[in-house]
Amino acid sequence: MHGENMTAAPGMRDLAQRLLDYEAGAGKSSEPVGSPTLLVYEKLRQSLGEFVGAAGFQSLATRALTLATPEAPGLSVARVAADGCLHGLGGTETQFEIDKDQVGDGGAILIARLLGLLRLFLGEALTLSLLRNAWPDEAIDDRNFENGRKA
Amino acid sequence: MSTQDKVKINKLPTGVPGLDEIVGGGLPEFSFNIIAGAPGSGKTTLAHQFVFANASPERPALYFTVLGESAIKMLRYQQQYTFFDPAKLPGSIRFINLSQVVLEQDLGAVLAEITKEVEKANPAVVVVDSFRTMVRKPESQMDLQSFIQRLALFLASWQATTFLIGEYAEEELRDNPIFTVADGLFWLRQTTERNSIVRKLQIIKLRGQDSVPGLHTFRITDAGVQAFSRTFGLTARKRKPPSGRRLSFGIPELDKMLDGGVREGDSVLVAGSSGTGKSVLATQFIAEGTRQGEPGIVAVFEERPEAYTERATSLGLDLETPQKDGKLTILYLRPLDLSVDETMQSILDAVQKIGAKRLVIDSLAGFEMALSPGFRADFRESLYRMIFALTGIGVTILSTVEVDESFTEFPFSTYSISFLCDDILRLRYVSIDGQLRKIMVVIKMRGGNHAKDIREYEITSKGVVILGKRLTEYQSLISGIPMYSGRSSSPVESSKDTGIEPSS
Repeated sequence: MHGENMTAAPGMRDLAQRLLDYEAGAGKSSEPVGSPTLLVYEKLRQSLGEFVGAAGFQSLATRALTLATPEAPGLSVARVAADGCLHGLGGTETQFEIDKDQVGDGGAILIARLLGLLRLFLGEALTLSLLRNAWPDEAIDDRNFENGRKA
Repeated sequence: MSTQDKVKINKLPTGVPGLDEIVGGGLPEFSFNIIAGAPGSGKTTLAHQFVFANASPERPALYFTVLGESAIKMLRYQQQYTFFDPAKLPGSIRFINLSQVVLEQDLGAVLAEITKEVEKANPAVVVVDSFRTMVRKPESQMDLQSFIQRLALFLASWQATTFLIGEYAEEELRDNPIFTVADGLFWLRQTTERNSIVRKLQIIKLRGQDSVPGLHTFRITDAGVQAFSRTFGLTARKRKPPSGRRLSFGIPELDKMLDGGVREGDSVLVAGSSGTGKSVLATQFIAEGTRQGEPGIVAVFEERPEAYTERATSLGLDLETPQKDGKLTILYLRPLDLSVDETMQSILDAVQKIGAKRLVIDSLAGFEMALSPGFRADFRESLYRMIFALTGIGVTILSTVEVDESFTEFPFSTYSISFLCDDILRLRYVSIDGQLRKIMVVIKMRGGNHAKDIREYEITSKGVVILGKRLTEYQSLISGIPMYSGRSSSPVESSKDTGIEPSS
């Protein structure tokens, strides 16, 4: 396993959970718009896809899914398409159901792994900068990066 | 057309130390530029420096990445440079990946995508890295030409300063229609010479303003690209007219031989074989300067500053106090992979930092050895440029040079650099009365009425001490094997103690 952590770093888990909570909260105030995991994932895909390209994001997301699946076996049915979209969980793309009720902490773990990869490749400052751009209303600080340095 | 009528072209900072001077003060705003060179030559780093220096939230930079280095890896590596400010991403600098468009569609689609993003963001700076990778099929060449033509027109109208980055080999420079579109063409070269890498930058064209012609060395450090102008950034400085002031060596007899001392702004060469006291003379020159309140720089290559200071102390010369007071800097320049221009830039920076009036280079042989082998061929030319630049702003330079002692010749230098020097002081051994003694003579003093005398001297605990009168009892002194003539000073000759003929 090339020395990577067997579980997502706690700081990344916390950060992922904050983003999921944020999206869940945003959904409550208006019409439901889908699962928080999908919303977080899609925002990351849009934000990262712009500069790494669809293929670049697809590679990162596939790696994140591979790292996350042993921790959350429910993710084993998921796959990342060529355009970076996440498929295979729930019935359809819009009925995304990888949150706690279906696969335990799968959603948080997948997002945590993705964030961990970003931090690993781009560093804390740049990752924070990208996250703040994607979630301008959420106060994202560097506290979450203090725990561990692995994906 | 009067100056008032002419359009004013703003100059943007390049963000590359030394490059603004080379391009004539900054990059012309709204210019369309190509950075070309082989892989690894620093093209992307240079473009990043420009982007980080100019992008703002109001006028951001759009950095389009095409095929080639993956964007995530590019950012991973580029952020190691000190100029990289992550806070500027993505608000001021946006990286946009176009690889999918390039792979799946044609150049028209790429242009449409760039156009869409530019119209949306209103950027001040646009970079396409690397546009060359968009076409690898020979039949696409014409498309590329048309693409670049249209892109140049569009981006100029949108008031963007643009860089296209492309991998090109040297031989592709000729007759390439793509380059005719560009306002600026920056060529980065990287060659291996013996065991070292030599990087050079050339501004092949730059419309609208004068750039410094020729090849400029550059280095890539953790601060990014740093360029070293062939003119050392001193072209804009006005040459100071000669002051006519004389600078003392602190050796009264030697000052007399020099008609009162070295003229301010002169370049002095002290030549002699090993052990003749060249460094001692140089130390006395710099110490006398600091004693008189003239800041100085000593560039040493053969001993460390501490040893140089200690040796001065043993001669009764205090170099420690002026160093503590910021009036003297002893530079130790010994890394073996430096380019001549960056070594000289270090000296120039030190000179300008403390406002030095005197500079000692001890020695030229050590200087040459400190350079990367590939740069040694440029040594004489670069030395000329540095001496010209520094003396032009009134700095007096004393260089020491070791010459092989010969009993059939009387060489002044092994570098054929005498023409660079206003004054030459030659030291040498002579065999007299079963002793190896030392003599000195002023060979030349440009525009000065120097002594013609050959004087014997000794190196004592007080430095160089000139002994007695000129040596009139010997002939052929400069051969090193003089003949005793027995002729002592006549009363007439005694009246010429200074050795300087009275001016008529």
